Amino acid sequence: MSRGDAIVIGAGHNGLACALLLARGGRKVLVLERHDRIGGIAASEEFHPGYRSAGLIPEANRVLPTTLARLGLEAHGLRVRPERPGILALGGGGKGIFIAGEVGKASTGLASTSARDAASYPRFRAALDRYAEILKSFLSEPALDLVKVESNGPLDMLRRAWRVRRLGKSEMLELLRLPAMSVADLLSEWFETDLLKAALALPAISGTWLGPRSPSTALNYLLWEATAGPGVAGGGPAFVAALEKAARAAGVEIRTSATVERVSVVDGSVRGVVLAGGEEIAAATVAAACDPKQALLSLLEPGTIPYRLERSIQGFRTRGTTAQVLLALSAPPRFAARPDGPIELARTGAHLDDLERAFDAVKYRRMSEKPILEIHVPSVATAGLAPAGGAVVSVLVHFAPYEIDGGWNDGLRERLGDQVVAMLDGHAPGLAKSIAGRQVLTPADLAARYALPQGHPHHGEHSLDQWLVRPTPECGRYATPVPGLFLCSSGVHPGGGLTCGPGTLAADAILRG
Amino acid sequence: MTPPAGKPTRSSYDVIVVGGGHNGLVAAAYLAKAGQRVLVLERRHVLGGAAVSEELHPGFTFSVCSYVVSLFRPHIIRDLDLPRHGLEIIPLECSFLPLPDGRSLARWGDKELTRREIASFSEHDAEIYPEFGLAMGKLARFARHIIDHPAPDPASLRPGELRKLLRLGNAMRDFDDDLRYLNLQLLSMSAVDFLDRWFESPVLKAPMSVSGIIGTFLGVRSPGTAYVLLHHYMGEIDGAFRAWGFAKGGTGRLSESIAAAARELGAEILTSAPVARLLQKGGKAHGVALENGDEIRARAVVSGLDPRRTFLGMVGEQNLDPAFVNQIKRYKFRGSSGKVNLAVDRLPSFSCRPGDGLHLRGDIAIGPSVDYLERAYDQAKYGDFSERPYLNVVIPSLVDPSVAPPGKHVISCFVQYAPYDIKEGASQWPARREAFGDAVVDTLAEYCPGLKESILYRQVLTPWDLEQEFGLSEGNIFHGELSLEQLLFLRPAAGWSRYRTPVKGLWLGSSGAHPGGGIMGAPGELCARMLLASGEL
Repeated sequence: MSRGDAIVIGAGHNGLACALLLARGGRKVLVLERHDRIGGIAASEEFHPGYRSAGLIPEANRVLPTTLARLGLEAHGLRVRPERPGILALGGGGKGIFIAGEVGKASTGLASTSARDAASYPRFRAALDRYAEILKSFLSEPALDLVKVESNGPLDMLRRAWRVRRLGKSEMLELLRLPAMSVADLLSEWFETDLLKAALALPAISGTWLGPRSPSTALNYLLWEATAGPGVAGGGPAFVAALEKAARAAGVEIRTSATVERVSVVDGSVRGVVLAGGEEIAAATVAAACDPKQALLSLLEPGTIPYRLERSIQGFRTRGTTAQVLLALSAPPRFAARPDGPIELARTGAHLDDLERAFDAVKYRRMSEKPILEIHVPSVATAGLAPAGGAVVSVLVHFAPYEIDGGWNDGLRERLGDQVVAMLDGHAPGLAKSIAGRQVLTPADLAARYALPQGHPHHGEHSLDQWLVRPTPECGRYATPVPGLFLCSSGVHPGGGLTCGPGTLAADAILRG
Repeated sequence: MTPPAGKPTRSSYDVIVVGGGHNGLVAAAYLAKAGQRVLVLERRHVLGGAAVSEELHPGFTFSVCSYVVSLFRPHIIRDLDLPRHGLEIIPLECSFLPLPDGRSLARWGDKELTRREIASFSEHDAEIYPEFGLAMGKLARFARHIIDHPAPDPASLRPGELRKLLRLGNAMRDFDDDLRYLNLQLLSMSAVDFLDRWFESPVLKAPMSVSGIIGTFLGVRSPGTAYVLLHHYMGEIDGAFRAWGFAKGGTGRLSESIAAAARELGAEILTSAPVARLLQKGGKAHGVALENGDEIRARAVVSGLDPRRTFLGMVGEQNLDPAFVNQIKRYKFRGSSGKVNLAVDRLPSFSCRPGDGLHLRGDIAIGPSVDYLERAYDQAKYGDFSERPYLNVVIPSLVDPSVAPPGKHVISCFVQYAPYDIKEGASQWPARREAFGDAVVDTLAEYCPGLKESILYRQVLTPWDLEQEFGLSEGNIFHGELSLEQLLFLRPAAGWSRYRTPVKGLWLGSSGAHPGGGIMGAPGELCARMLLASGEL
């Protein structure tokens, strides 16, 4: 291979997006994937004969329209859904609130619960819309370097400051007030119904080591909810399938079952990679779509990076708190709170305190006694995941600590599965009887299966400090202190979720040279 | 000490200061110093607000609420010549952490002694502790820029404001990359996450992290609590060791010394003079009406009350723009702490370090682990006081014999968590008060056998009591939570951090204004300076 060649480690959505843009930029690109399949956490897998999952992340709605357009995925068959699916908030005793995806419908639906909330909801969404442009630009541009402040272009800084100032004085100050708040306080300023607040709050704490009362969870809420789109048809699997097609069409070569053991560095610069088994592949550029800790601590010879960086990357927090339970059902679940309609998304937690209590447990290295369930029924919108008449249910379980007292074992895994099934059966009576098969993935299982650090689906916690600097000051702009080695995973700005943000921004950085 | 309640000597003044707490008194003194005719009106029979001393049991003087002088601005002490007016600060010798297993950790002013103490838990931590202190000291210098000046206004496009922002930027420029990163972390992390990056021993991390939660309804693992760690180091750069200390004669002596300075400068100060409302016309304040119906005129009024009592009480909702009222209503108080004061007939003895010793001449922390502190917080989140709370205990009578009869002592226990909103409802606190006091005494007695038998008198202050007696809304000792969204240009409301209020002529000079609570005196001083510079007097 010649000097212009690039290797991307990992064929997840960020790796593929990075590879695709590099190839379009004229590089000859090879993607190396340790698994025998492509797509990382978004890939579909047969977890029970005849039943396929839709990956780990429930909604593929966080990719920005501008990113989708840049990647040109619609030319490869990807379709955006017309409307975001509604969310069923599950209270106790068969009670529930359906929050429709469309604002007007959602407001109408809330009227029977609380006239005040029904009136607040459209105003709340409108407020989010006012901040959406700024939040989207935060997600679609490299992060400002807040340590070497002088290295940011003065014009760039002015442009960003002006974008915020242009909101007008009072809106600007309000936008500056919100990020440090807790999502509980944010939602309580707008709404009164406990069940509604609990259901809305969940995205702010999913993938964090925080509860709804923790300051700065409002920032997570704003970043995800103000920028979310309707999602792509077919979800994560369709998304990565289109990425793969587009990448191959652009000339990217993808090798599966190819585990990178080491990034070789000669005279301080990247020379290529060494695969398990000893094969060496030369390349002047290596973009690591694996997590930053793996890239900097496992794939490099010790001593390659400065000690200071070693220390600070070790301090990057990646405490996983999520488990997944996949269920193969012989019949679609019927939720007592809304027995008539097919439900694609549902959340448990009747009160913000339920979320907070679920979080409390992980502080003491325990499984939540009553975890919060983020329920996704992908077979509602995507045909072919289950046999005719059947259904696939994927449940993200919050909170299940990676670091659990005594360590994860088969007994704990099965107990977690039983607990989730029992909770589901309470909300959708009869569900337990319709189970044809199940797969329980603890954080330890997720870590092993997807090479996620401590099982963290976002390669690192989403918290205020790790939004400002992700993952460390030296590596916040995709390049690393090792010339030729770049980071392009969820562990760099703008973080996790199926955004392809890190992959595309890293490709820009590489192509700029 | 306390002046008798009386009548004002005039019917009109340049400035009326409502509330004779330490900030109100500081504002009054600075205004009087500039030649203004000033009247201070205090509702209680005694001056000082929450910085007050009272003889509640014969022979025993208690610093009823605030018990150590921490961040009081040194330039205010100089400007007002407070030592001449009776202020004497006795430094704290030590930070002592007893552990339930019989071990303990004491951190001293003496670096070598501290190193040895920490090394018995972790060699690594003992080595790194001075380095940590050095870095924090440098950051504290930066923080001083922030607390000694009005908050920068990021929304302003005026050249003067932009220059202020640039000046802050310049202060950062002297930092190397490591310090800048540390500064960012300090502003955005939880106290525990921040300390985790430095230290390994939980025995060190627990007492260090706890300074991040004093007076807030947050846990040591809540993001945004790290920056308060700086407070410990700000004292050091202000000169005297840590500048954490007892005011001789009790914390009230500090307030009395400010009052004496203000009087000497010509200010009039009345106690037992509760203000009923602000006199206003056409959106402009022109005096106050007392509860007895007397009206006193002034060209400006400075409020030393918290934002809620100032705007929703004294001013009245109906006289304000609804959007502003909404901002004040959502301003969070959520008191989370209480106070238990004890008079005892002998010195308490800790089973891990029995008898008298220098370790008792500082602050004593009951909070043996991060998990302990978090469990205490968890209980409070769901509406209970902590059964096993975090306690910050001081025994001022050991270093200041004037506050207790010979051989006897006063013990002050700051207690967290005691949430204002208990699940029975805040007004039900009186029924829970003694149970709360018992939990505190039981907790301390686990470390000090014999404590219960030595108690002669006990005062229990719940958040409800702090509100009813001292006028602290929801019992918040800082006039509103010191959380990131209520600091700097957002305190008490976006656009109103410069001590001015929407009512012309009414100024806010309390801890509810920048830079917030603690016995700093900074809000009172900055408010007076801004008022004097406004040209409105």
